[in-house]
Amino acid sequence: MTRRLWLRGLRARLLAAFALVTMLGAAAAVWSSAGSASTALVTSYQQQLTQTIDEQIGAVTPQLTYPPDQDALDQLRAAVGTNTLVIYEDLRSVDGADTDLVTDELRSAVRAENRLATQRITVDGKPWLLVGTPIMITAPDGTRTPSGIEVYSVRDLTDVEREIDGLTMSAITTAALALPLSVLAASLAAGSVLRPVRELRDTAGRLAAGDLDARSPPQGADELAELTATINEMAESVQTSIAAMERMQADAKRFAADVSHELRTPLSTLTAVVEILADTTDEMEPDARESAQMAITETHRLVRLVEDLMEVSRFDAGTARLRVEEVDVVGAVRDSLRARGWLDRVELVAPEETLLRLDRRRLDVIVANLVGNALRHGEPPVRVHVSASSEQVWITVTDSGAGLPEHVLPHVFGRFYKADAARTRTPGSGLGLAIALENARLHGGDLTVDNIDRGGGGGARFVLRLPKDPEER
Amino acid sequence: MKRVWWAAVALLVAGCGVQPTGVTDGGEAPTGVAPGVTLYFVDADGELRPQQRQTGSLGTISEALSLLLLGPGGSGLRTEIASTSTPRVGVTVEPEVIELVTPLTIDDVTPLGIDQIVCTALSTHVQGGGSRSTEVRVRFTLPTPESDEQRTCPLIG
Repeated sequence: MTRRLWLRGLRARLLAAFALVTMLGAAAAVWSSAGSASTALVTSYQQQLTQTIDEQIGAVTPQLTYPPDQDALDQLRAAVGTNTLVIYEDLRSVDGADTDLVTDELRSAVRAENRLATQRITVDGKPWLLVGTPIMITAPDGTRTPSGIEVYSVRDLTDVEREIDGLTMSAITTAALALPLSVLAASLAAGSVLRPVRELRDTAGRLAAGDLDARSPPQGADELAELTATINEMAESVQTSIAAMERMQADAKRFAADVSHELRTPLSTLTAVVEILADTTDEMEPDARESAQMAITETHRLVRLVEDLMEVSRFDAGTARLRVEEVDVVGAVRDSLRARGWLDRVELVAPEETLLRLDRRRLDVIVANLVGNALRHGEPPVRVHVSASSEQVWITVTDSGAGLPEHVLPHVFGRFYKADAARTRTPGSGLGLAIALENARLHGGDLTVDNIDRGGGGGARFVLRLPKDPEER
Repeated sequence: MKRVWWAAVALLVAGCGVQPTGVTDGGEAPTGVAPGVTLYFVDADGELRPQQRQTGSLGTISEALSLLLLGPGGSGLRTEIASTSTPRVGVTVEPEVIELVTPLTIDDVTPLGIDQIVCTALSTHVQGGGSRSTEVRVRFTLPTPESDEQRTCPLIG
């Protein structure tokens, strides 16, 4: 598997392709050059042998008695050399055992064509040249008739073969020398291609990791340089749009913060007025009292909304600070419930005491929000379950209602998100869960939501996870 | 893929070494054997006529010319070359021309006698495997322009 992966690498593929092309080219060159050289060598050697035999025969024939006797045949055979067979009718003159190699094919060709004939054969891996010829009688007018004398000679081609083998070996050696050179060239080429690719990869990695200033300098004018330039442009435009987006977001957040801050002073005045009004509602007409009650309720809502907005602004601005102290989580949860008079409506399942370093006020905000939501939107019984491991603490708030619809789950922590569009006039600000999540995160923890029974009818379950030591995130 | 590689390697190996062949033509067969030599004399009508001498072998041009100079013997043919006491002819064979150095003067031979010499030399040359288009230069002992002439035999070539 590792080997396969390695083979898929660009460098390996380039190297392999280079080596393959070189080997193929060298092999083709070796094959063709060695082939043509050996053919030329064998042909010339063969021609030389044939010509020599022809000349040797031609030199003695004018002195040869005709019709020949045994002496004449011996004389002819001696002139041609060893490994020669001379035949005339029933007479034979033989020298050398290798004359047995003469093929019937050659004999019949010699007799049929009345011309000199050659044949190359290989016996037991040894190459031989067979030369066979009739001796002709030429009349003074040039007509030729066979004399009946036939000469067969067998010549060893081992020397030529050795020469050819040497030739081939030297050609292969030369070709093999090209291989390391090709590998070197391939390495250089691979390096020059892969270096920009690696730089691009690093740049892309840095961009992905959030370093929007990452660029790689384009080198040369090839396709890779174009790609580099394109990626740089892409990074540029992404950076620009993200910067614009961040600026807009920051503007919006600052605006919200400014608005809520500006609202605070008039609101506190308004609150004071409303409290005075509350003291005097008993003396009012029923209609007026209802209006006054509504004004008081809405004013309280407005105050809470502004407070929540300011809290969110603090989170956004990064100015929210933890005031960490050693707290018994179970006690703190119980205090939260008790302070709001929920102890008899909520079932608290918890161990005796679980000490944790956290911001007591923020825990109270989270618990109040989660339990408040459960009581308001879910069905009783509402259950709060505290559990702890050696590293973290979980506070789970469940209700027994219908649970949250599947499409709502991803958005419940969004700001001003209302699951039910018709239910706009709830006492919440619409920021409660967002603030709870931010508080959990500030502790290095997390807040998640799901339904107890995913099929529905199981009620919503919010799980607050807090690490035991918020400093060690 | 593997099979392709093996085929390539086999092809490479096959290209090396000496390959066996079938029977291939190697050109003209050698010649030169003959039961005797052909000499040219003149018959009663004054025509050149070849005469076979059963010498057992073809022999050289020089030997043939020596026999020619010795005369036709009792065969009803005659020679137009004057007899000489040294019937020996020097022969030089070059690719295009055979040069004969005779022990004769131009007066010892008639034109037909020169043809006898040329034809006998050329006939032996052709029977020994030589070309029929070879020309013959007959040199005489005394300086004469006839010595430089290149001749052919009217019966051969």
